[in-house]
Amino acid sequence: MTSFFRGKVSFAFKLAVLLLIGSVLVTLTQSAFAQGEFLIAAFLAITVLLLAITYLTKVSIPLKFFLPGILLLVAFVLSPIIFTVTMSGYNYKTGNIISKAEAIEQIQNRGFESDADGTSFDIKIGRYQMGEAILVSDSINGAYFISTVTNRVPLNPSDLTINEFGVAESAPDFEALADDEFATADETYSGKRFKYQDEFFIALEGFEVGIVSRQVLSYDADKDQFNNIVSGEVYVDNGRGNYAIADNPDLYLEPGWRAPVWFENYTKLFTEERLRGPLISVFTWTVIFASLSVITTFALGLLLALALNKPIRGRRVYRSILILPYAMPSIMSILIWGGMFNTEFGAINNLLGTDIAWFQNALFAKFAIILVNLWLGFPYFYLVSSGALQAIPSELLEAAAIDGANPRQIFRRITLPLLLQILSPLLIASFAFNFNNFNLIYLLTGGGPRAELDGELAGATDILISFTYKIAFGSSVQDLGLASAISLVIFLLIASISLYGLRKSKVLESFQ
Amino acid sequence: MTYWLRNNLWRHALIISVCLFSLFPLYLVVISSFNSTGSLRLDSFIPREISFENYKMLFTDPAIPYLTWMKNSLIIAGATAVLSVSIGSASAFAFSRLYFRGRKIGIQMLLLVQMFPAILAISAVYVIMERVYTFAPSIGLGTQAGLLLIYLGGAMGVNIWLLKGFVDSIPKELDEAAKIDGASAVQTYWLIFMPLAAPVLAVVSLLSFIGTFNEFILARLFLVDMETRTVAVGLQQFIGGQYSENWGPFAAGSIIASVPIVIIFLSLQKYIINGLTAGSVKG
Repeated sequence: MTSFFRGKVSFAFKLAVLLLIGSVLVTLTQSAFAQGEFLIAAFLAITVLLLAITYLTKVSIPLKFFLPGILLLVAFVLSPIIFTVTMSGYNYKTGNIISKAEAIEQIQNRGFESDADGTSFDIKIGRYQMGEAILVSDSINGAYFISTVTNRVPLNPSDLTINEFGVAESAPDFEALADDEFATADETYSGKRFKYQDEFFIALEGFEVGIVSRQVLSYDADKDQFNNIVSGEVYVDNGRGNYAIADNPDLYLEPGWRAPVWFENYTKLFTEERLRGPLISVFTWTVIFASLSVITTFALGLLLALALNKPIRGRRVYRSILILPYAMPSIMSILIWGGMFNTEFGAINNLLGTDIAWFQNALFAKFAIILVNLWLGFPYFYLVSSGALQAIPSELLEAAAIDGANPRQIFRRITLPLLLQILSPLLIASFAFNFNNFNLIYLLTGGGPRAELDGELAGATDILISFTYKIAFGSSVQDLGLASAISLVIFLLIASISLYGLRKSKVLESFQ
Repeated sequence: MTYWLRNNLWRHALIISVCLFSLFPLYLVVISSFNSTGSLRLDSFIPREISFENYKMLFTDPAIPYLTWMKNSLIIAGATAVLSVSIGSASAFAFSRLYFRGRKIGIQMLLLVQMFPAILAISAVYVIMERVYTFAPSIGLGTQAGLLLIYLGGAMGVNIWLLKGFVDSIPKELDEAAKIDGASAVQTYWLIFMPLAAPVLAVVSLLSFIGTFNEFILARLFLVDMETRTVAVGLQQFIGGQYSENWGPFAAGSIIASVPIVIIFLSLQKYIINGLTAGSVKG
């Protein structure tokens, strides 16, 4: 066995595995590079390099152990976090997703309008001298021509096949698109500008109509501004990811780009009325929800632990039944509870003989959430409380009994304080967990009922994390910048709570 | 008799009522799964009919690839469990036993990173995988391999942290003895640590398996095709709409998916509970 780790066979085996992984990664690096994903390509290249150095030399033995773990963490945990933190300094939201260069290009492409008369022609799309071209029929003036991006070739009507509507069907040297080519034609033809006259060009609208248009927005790279050639309006970079008219900031060009706004997403949380109100309510409920969840689950768990803390008939059976909710996959449980609270078809109303619309009323919805979370969470605290009760030295309790304390006094003065001390890290961890208990809220009430706070984003049972999720992904304007900023605030809150808990449990001291 | 009443009646009364509370939803699911009307309504506590309609539907209806979902979940969760524990245990060993610069900072960073609300980094994960898709469609967005990679990354923190707790509890004398006998770190790891930690690794794998099996948000975001979905995502789609008719198959599907996990959990409860608390209550 030992020889396996030192022998030639093992070296060959190691080399083979490394080569295999290495070659896969190198291939990926190449294709990432070819696709212009330089950051990913760089990460992959560094990965290959690190793997080679670590496993082929003896630079660092610890690195041999944790390199794979670290690489996975960096790729899928750390870099998303860094990305999120960066985004919180940008106005990264719907309408401001792309880069500035892309935005300028798109504004230019979209910045044309049709001529004053709204002239349009019937057209056929196809090819002329190998390039994309359109066959234009100006049936009002009886004029026909082929137009490419650079050229316009007048045609003699007698050379053409013209149908009963006066539209040219074919022309010499013009090759109309075959039917099977239309599928991909959209990509190549729409967006192209076919020559007309002077500054005017023909833009396609569908595959059969061309509209005479001209560029109205022109980009002035030196001054970094857009000029409207027709009206003379000037759009300047407003420093917030849009080109806007200087003295009328509400008139801006679409699309914008992601621009650094530094701490604006953070200050917004406190200054913007529309956001501050819901945020305060959501935060308050988050704290209430997390506290109540911990208190109720701990209380019931402890009560059960006390009740079962002495030999009692059926203890094993009881125990197994009591931890069933904990053993069930929680996703299923939450969904089942959601069904049970259904107004018409749910078992709860059925059982109580009531007709309550549980998730339409804020108070009922909150009650339902706490109840479900109690069901999900009490077994955990039952288990850990039982363990902790065993850990309390029986001498203490006996001494108190000899001193004449009654059972209630013993519990209140000795058992409970000791238990709280033993379990405080777990209570804090449970608070932190519930603070971010996204699944429960999202799957049970979806944060509803809405219209309770601002009717738009925050619902009455939304906790911070589900509220933030809605800001990032849920509404018509997806504001990733703002959501990232809130995430960071949540992170700081949770990290300080947890670090406090850890310090109490002295876990960190074991690294000293 | 009065003594017994005073001391034990309240215990039994309390425990039985909580047992009813904990059993009620489960009982309801069981009877709903055998009920062909397909609602979570409680018409009577004793089922009026035993119908296997819902179960039959899961396995025969071509629109519900339930077996494929189960297979997907088992493969993804299984692979995540095995791989993340293999990779994580090596890291945990290094953090617990080997001394190197930045070890303390490293483990603290690990803890800190774990506290970032993962739900909110998913937009970034999404963007990254979208880009990966452009050059490697087989591991990018929408693929199970891609999802597996993300799970592995996400599981690392917790697993290293949990496993480190276990490694710490293995007596140091053992590997010191091995060292004196001339064993390298790699040999100590494979020959001393691995055999000792095998039961522990199994438990952490199991926790990791259950955690992944339960994961919903990422799976729903990533796996768009009906055929690639996991069982949690697939079942949620049944009742995602306002159609209460689908509770029957949902109940049947949940039961089939949950029973193995519940059995494993109950039979290994002692170990699992130790595992759950090891990261936090010590010292």
